[in-house]
Amino acid sequence: MLSRLKRKGEASVAPSVPAWHPNFRNYEKLPDIKAVRTAFFVNGVAILLAISLTIYFGFTEWELRNINHQTAAIQGEIERDKKTSEQAITLFKTFQADEARVLEVDTFIKSKPTISVIISRLGETLPANIAVDNLDFRETGLTMRLSVRGTPDVASGYATKYLEQLRSDSQLALFDDFTFTSTPSPNPTTGRMAVEFFLHLKGAPAGRK
Amino acid sequence: MTNDELFTFIKKNPISVGCGVLSLFLAAGVYLRSAEIPEAEDILLQKTAMAERYALNIKNSVQLMEQADAMAAANKELDTRIIRASQLGSNTQYFYKLQSDTGVKLIDFRQATVVLPPTKAKTTYSPVAFNVAVQGTLPQVMNFLRQLESGTHYCRVLTANCSGNASARNQPLTLSLNLEMLGLP
Repeated sequence: MLSRLKRKGEASVAPSVPAWHPNFRNYEKLPDIKAVRTAFFVNGVAILLAISLTIYFGFTEWELRNINHQTAAIQGEIERDKKTSEQAITLFKTFQADEARVLEVDTFIKSKPTISVIISRLGETLPANIAVDNLDFRETGLTMRLSVRGTPDVASGYATKYLEQLRSDSQLALFDDFTFTSTPSPNPTTGRMAVEFFLHLKGAPAGRK
Repeated sequence: MTNDELFTFIKKNPISVGCGVLSLFLAAGVYLRSAEIPEAEDILLQKTAMAERYALNIKNSVQLMEQADAMAAANKELDTRIIRASQLGSNTQYFYKLQSDTGVKLIDFRQATVVLPPTKAKTTYSPVAFNVAVQGTLPQVMNFLRQLESGTHYCRVLTANCSGNASARNQPLTLSLNLEMLGLP
């Protein structure tokens, strides 16, 4: 149904320029020829907006419900596992304390080389012409004082060979430097060549003794 | 616009007015509830992380009981091998027992006080220092040293000096040791 106001509006649109003939149109009685009314579009937009908002609102509510549902499920898991987890943590702390003591002992034992093993190895590999006079273990390494049998020229060769032998011994790998500490010299008391080696411990401060 | 005109307008456009009002309510609802989703997601994330942590704790502790028992047993054994610095009698007895077992002659024995350097790590045990000198044949001295290093108590030798008589090799050897044993005050 066309409103009265509308019809008046249309009437006012009539040409203001004087026509070449009289206008006999009666706008009040003319039929409404609009196929689709403006109200249809207004209603359509309003319905579309309402539906869109309803869908959006429904979606957000569904999403929120989903999240809350998941949260509730996880809360259940937390309540189920909490006690066992706390017991495990307490037990682990005890384990850590015990482990620290074991590690402390292990560190203590491994902090220094086993001297008896080194002496045994030196004894096993000692050449026939060489005798050990003194072994002196210090923080930096081992000083070996030796007596070498033979004439000075031969004895010096034995000493050099023995030093090479010590250097190539895989069981003495805890030492990284094998050196003569002084020139070999004859010992007037024993009549043998006095030789002194220094075996430097790996990782120890540099220098002899 | 008077009330009558408004009423007439609503009566003439019930669909558009109804949808408009519904849209207004929905928009208000969307606005008011919009902050709740991020909050709920945050809570979900926190709880998921917590649940995962708990589950991981439980998973990692499957064999923890057995391991803790083994560690406790190891510690019990450690305790039996630790010396007490204050028990001078027992400590001296240990060395004299070694002397009688190996046949060496104990020519010097002193228990010293160790001044520990300040360390960040808190330790349970502290080393107890001893100065020991023995005399004997090579097998006796070696036996003494082996028993000391791998004996009842945890021991490390800091310095050692082993010397013999270069002109009389059948004379006994002298072994001087500066050693530490792991102990409690």
